[in-house]
Order: sequence, then structure tokens, then C-alpha cells
Amino acid sequence: MRLLVRTLSELCLTVGLLTVLLVVYLLYWTGVRADGAMRGELDRLHRQWSAGPAAGRPDPGHDGSGDSASDAPGAEPGSNTRPSQSGSAGSRSVPAAQPPPPPSAYRSGAPFAVMYIPRLGAHWAKPVLQGTGTALLKKGLGHYPGTAPLGAVGNFAVAGHRRTYGDPFKDLPRLRPGDAVVLTDGTSWFTYRVDTPPYRTLPDDTTVLDPVPAEAGRTRPGRYLTLTTCDPEWGHSHRLIVWGHLDEVSPASGGKPKALPG
Amino acid sequence: MYAWIWRHLPGNAWVKALTSLVLVLGIVYLLFQYVFPWAEPLLPFNDVTVDNGMAVAR
Repeated sequence: MRLLVRTLSELCLTVGLLTVLLVVYLLYWTGVRADGAMRGELDRLHRQWSAGPAAGRPDPGHDGSGDSASDAPGAEPGSNTRPSQSGSAGSRSVPAAQPPPPPSAYRSGAPFAVMYIPRLGAHWAKPVLQGTGTALLKKGLGHYPGTAPLGAVGNFAVAGHRRTYGDPFKDLPRLRPGDAVVLTDGTSWFTYRVDTPPYRTLPDDTTVLDPVPAEAGRTRPGRYLTLTTCDPEWGHSHRLIVWGHLDEVSPASGGKPKALPG
Repeated sequence: MYAWIWRHLPGNAWVKALTSLVLVLGIVYLLFQYVFPWAEPLLPFNDVTVDNGMAVAR
């Protein structure tokens, strides 16, 4: 009897320890791993960009759409020929002197841009990789295959972890209309401005990725940005969406855009 | 259970303590390297996309 009670309590202790270890793993270890992986991807990008201005550009020979998510409905920008006409008030038109990159796909699984969001911290900088697979999102933010390339007409959509793996989008709900989301692909700086407060929707609501997302109040084609993460913070019952539009494009050689501190 | 393991470890108390430490570290390594990464997709923190890619993650 005594042996039974002792064994039982030891088992309880073991289960408790395992739970604590799992929490440590999720809260701390995935972050350590992700920070290392993201730094690696950022280094890879900067090496590519310093090696040659064209090295970081999309590879036209590879369509990179092997990801299962590439057939997202409505993600094909069908109205690429229309000029940029942002539906929101007060937006400036994009300078015509800076043509957007050709709508060729990025190489699947490879980093192609760095995202900066000053509201989330002066040092907040994350790599953006092509694809939204589970393994890929452990190394950085993921660009939905089938959505528009950076700076192009259509919807440039990016997913990121809210919690675990470095918590990249933990503070996404803090974004407010007017906040800057700055991206660079090594040749240009793209400054997007947030248009809407964070919007809660259901996980299967793929219309938020549409080239003209109606839920964001869009009526005309434009150069849009969509950020997605999970909601609530530790759950998966909903998704949190932030929309923005392209406000400014400047060459990378011209230094950081004024939206970025420092 | 733990007392049983302790009794079956060889050597004096110091050697036993050292062996236990190595065993514990080995188990923690196995958990972090193999067991937790396997268990993690069963938890809801990986679902951050709004498309069918989620079906793969679950």
C-alpha cells in the first residue's frame, strides 16, 4: 500500500515536471531557436544584398509555388494593369518613377525581404520568407504564395507567430491606423501605412487576402498589405488581421526612409 | 520508482548522484530535441494563417 502511494505520487511529480519543462520549451526554448534562425536568415539576406544588387531578387526561372497554400482562392491579382488608387483618405500616390518589381514569384522557402515595424520596437526587424509552412514560420515571417509581390498592385500578405518561436507578432494588436510597416528587398524601401485597427476573423476567411479585400473597406485595386496572426494570443479559434497600403517607395541607396527611427 | 532507480545505480552515493545528473540531462535533451517538437503541432500556437495551409499544420 505504501509502495503504491509512493509510486503514484512520484508519477504525479513526474507529470508535473514534464509540464513545467514543456512550458519552458514553448516560452523560452522556441524563442531562442527562432531568434537564432531569424538572425541567420537576416544575415543571409544581407550577404546576398552586399554580394550584388540582383542577388536578392525573385528568381524568374523558378515559380516557387510548390507550397500547398499557393492555390488560395482569389489570390490571383487579376487587375494588375490598373494604376494605384488607394481607397483610403489622405493617402499619397506612389511615385511613378519607382516601378514595382515584376510579379514573378519569390523562391519558395528563401528569405527575400526584411520587415520593420517601429511601433513594435526600434529594433524590431524580421526576415520575410516565401511560403507559410509550419517549419518556415519558425524561421521568420511568411509571405503567402499567390499574393502580390512586395510593392506591386494587389495584396502583399504576410503571416507570423503571435506566440512561441520568437513571438514576432505578439504586439500586433498595438498597431493603429497610420503606423508604418517598412519593408526592404535590398533594392528599395517600401513604406506601408496601417489603415485599420486589428480585425478579428475566422481561420478559414481567406477573403482577407484578396487583391481588393472588401472587409478592409477597399473598393478599388491598390498596393495593399495584409498581416495575419492567431487570436486569442494562445489560441487558434480566430485570426487577427491588419491591413495597410503602400505609401512611399524609395531606393535602398537613398538611406532609411523617414518612417524608421535612427 | 525513483528509490528503485537509486538502489540499482552502481557505485557510492557520489557516483550515483553524478549518474543521476547525467541521466536527467539526457532525458531533458531527448525531450527538447525530439518529444516536444513532435508534440508541439498538437498545440494551437502554430495556426497563424488564414488559408488551407493550416490543414497541414494540424
